[in-house]
Amino acid sequence: MATVGLKDIVKVYGRHIAVRGVDLEIQDKSFTVFVGPSGCGKSTMLRMIAGLEIISHGEMRLDGKIVNDTPPRERGVAMVFQSYALYPHKTVRQNLEFSLKLEKLPPDQIASRVNKAVNLLEIEPYLDRKPAQLSGGQRQRVAMGRAIVREPKVFLFDEPLSNLDAKLRNQMRIEIKKLQRRLQVTTIYVTHDQVEAMTLADVIVVMRDGVIEQSGTPMQIFESPANQFIAGFIGTPQMNFFAGSVSMSRGVATFVGEGFKLPISKSRFGTGFEEGQNLTAGFRPEDIVPQERSKSAKLSADFLSAIGFTEMLGNETLLFSSYAGTEFVSRMAQPRFVAQDEIMKFKFNVEKMHLFDGDTGMSIRAA
Amino acid sequence: MALATSQIDFAAIEARERASTKKKWPSVVVAAFVSLIWVVPFYYMLVSIFKTHAEYTANNPLSLPEGFSPIADNAISAWNTAKMGAGFANSAMYGIVGAGLAVFFAAMAAYGLTRISFKRQNFWFMLIFAGTIFPFQIYLIPLFFAYQKIGIINTHFGMLLFYTAVCIPFPVLVLRNYLNGLSREMDEAARMDGASEFRVFWSIILPNCIGPMTATFLLQFTWIWNDLLFSTVLGNREEVRSIMNSLQIFHGSYTTAGPNLTLTAALIASLPAIVLFLLLRRHFMEGMRVTGV
Repeated sequence: MATVGLKDIVKVYGRHIAVRGVDLEIQDKSFTVFVGPSGCGKSTMLRMIAGLEIISHGEMRLDGKIVNDTPPRERGVAMVFQSYALYPHKTVRQNLEFSLKLEKLPPDQIASRVNKAVNLLEIEPYLDRKPAQLSGGQRQRVAMGRAIVREPKVFLFDEPLSNLDAKLRNQMRIEIKKLQRRLQVTTIYVTHDQVEAMTLADVIVVMRDGVIEQSGTPMQIFESPANQFIAGFIGTPQMNFFAGSVSMSRGVATFVGEGFKLPISKSRFGTGFEEGQNLTAGFRPEDIVPQERSKSAKLSADFLSAIGFTEMLGNETLLFSSYAGTEFVSRMAQPRFVAQDEIMKFKFNVEKMHLFDGDTGMSIRAA
Repeated sequence: MALATSQIDFAAIEARERASTKKKWPSVVVAAFVSLIWVVPFYYMLVSIFKTHAEYTANNPLSLPEGFSPIADNAISAWNTAKMGAGFANSAMYGIVGAGLAVFFAAMAAYGLTRISFKRQNFWFMLIFAGTIFPFQIYLIPLFFAYQKIGIINTHFGMLLFYTAVCIPFPVLVLRNYLNGLSREMDEAARMDGASEFRVFWSIILPNCIGPMTATFLLQFTWIWNDLLFSTVLGNREEVRSIMNSLQIFHGSYTTAGPNLTLTAALIASLPAIVLFLLLRRHFMEGMRVTGV
């Protein structure tokens, strides 16, 4: 049970700066997910928290105590690695016991901790097997078991699901979530998969180029992304962006894109607009609605566009098209067969429009 | 339509496939002829060890022996006159301890070179590796004089020191490459599990290097066992004499004993390396596979 405090954390490799000043408070028993494109510094952050990398600058606290110089084994953190990193020459049982034996715990205590983890993860049948004789999913469980037996204050996961096939990944994702709820241990999880981030996290931390771009609950990040990068990174397929500018008329701002105009809501976006200001409008695929007949006020006027190609997923169909030179994806919630080059009518769901400053990419919102 | 398997003429297919490999008999003849170069000496040894001295001198050296019984006498007599017991003990010690220590030190060096970051890592590696580049003979004269000066010439310690040192570079090369391929996450996991640096090396890395360590151990052991040059120069006293040196002296001083005894002694002397290989072949082959030695 622990809080993790990160203050102005910097990591330098030679002349290369991998992490450039991260401040974050991680709450006790929370599930925090670091997400970002590769090279954003998220794994480096995790490795610094683990104690595997020296913190170049800044302070890391565990339960309020500075642990910058505490070696990994004394921090009370346990880590599940991407490659699982099981000891190939040891059986599953020996893998689980290794850390406890190093701790010199009495044998009965070792046995009881191992049994507890084994029951929790249902790996009893494989106890005497070596890792090479296990499937990917079983190895994953053993790797988690090895972390659990240590009864750590903090669990660290470094892209633990990336070596599994899609089906198993979904299954293990749910199991990790259940496990964390059950054990109530502060958990920090690194992934580049935004679906994992959305589904697992209490708090998502989006990183890019060694800094935190935004942190918040999954819904906060999804609904109110701080900037265009996050808006594009979270959500699949990604948000569609249309470049445009502001047109002012009698104090009312309008977004003017190529071939379309959209009203800018004062309540959502405020009033700080200037004539000619560069803007980018963002719509998620489900907010570019195909073939909508209703004339609800929240929808824009129709525009016509030819379908480039489609992805039929069964429960929905993704329509790939372009409008005024901008490619976009629309999600068709009630799918029917759509032919290539078919001309379809689309409407923007204006109520769900996101606006970004055309120059800085920062989100625009009413104060 | 799928072909009914009953309609397949297996014999015809086989004949056709064999026909394509048939017309190669000239190369087989050449190969057989060339292989005689290896087969004849081996045959010569095989027939000679079953002959008494009288039988050997009376008949053609390549003729078949009259019986198998003389081998026991030959073996006992070779063993005793060549003082093979002492040579065996010395060489076994040099081979097992020398190659064992060399491989162990090499593993430690390889661990340091791949897992601990320090300045000029590559320079240190190249320095050790340089030991395999130069022919060993260039060490001979300086070593002899240095050993003489320090007073470790003709001592077990001196022999062991040389064999251990000279056998380190090659295993370092092999084990460094192998360790480079071993997952670093594995040692990080061990470090997080609370293992000290030495514990990581001892409990995690070493058990995963058995294959390449065995392979290099066998190669180095065989080299030490078969070494004649250095053991003649650095350890010629009877107490420290290696098996190969004993053989040479036996051959030199007892030429009247005849080739039947010399060959029997040579055969006995080559047995340990063969036995060791057979015992460890599983690890050896695995080591060859993973390291590409």
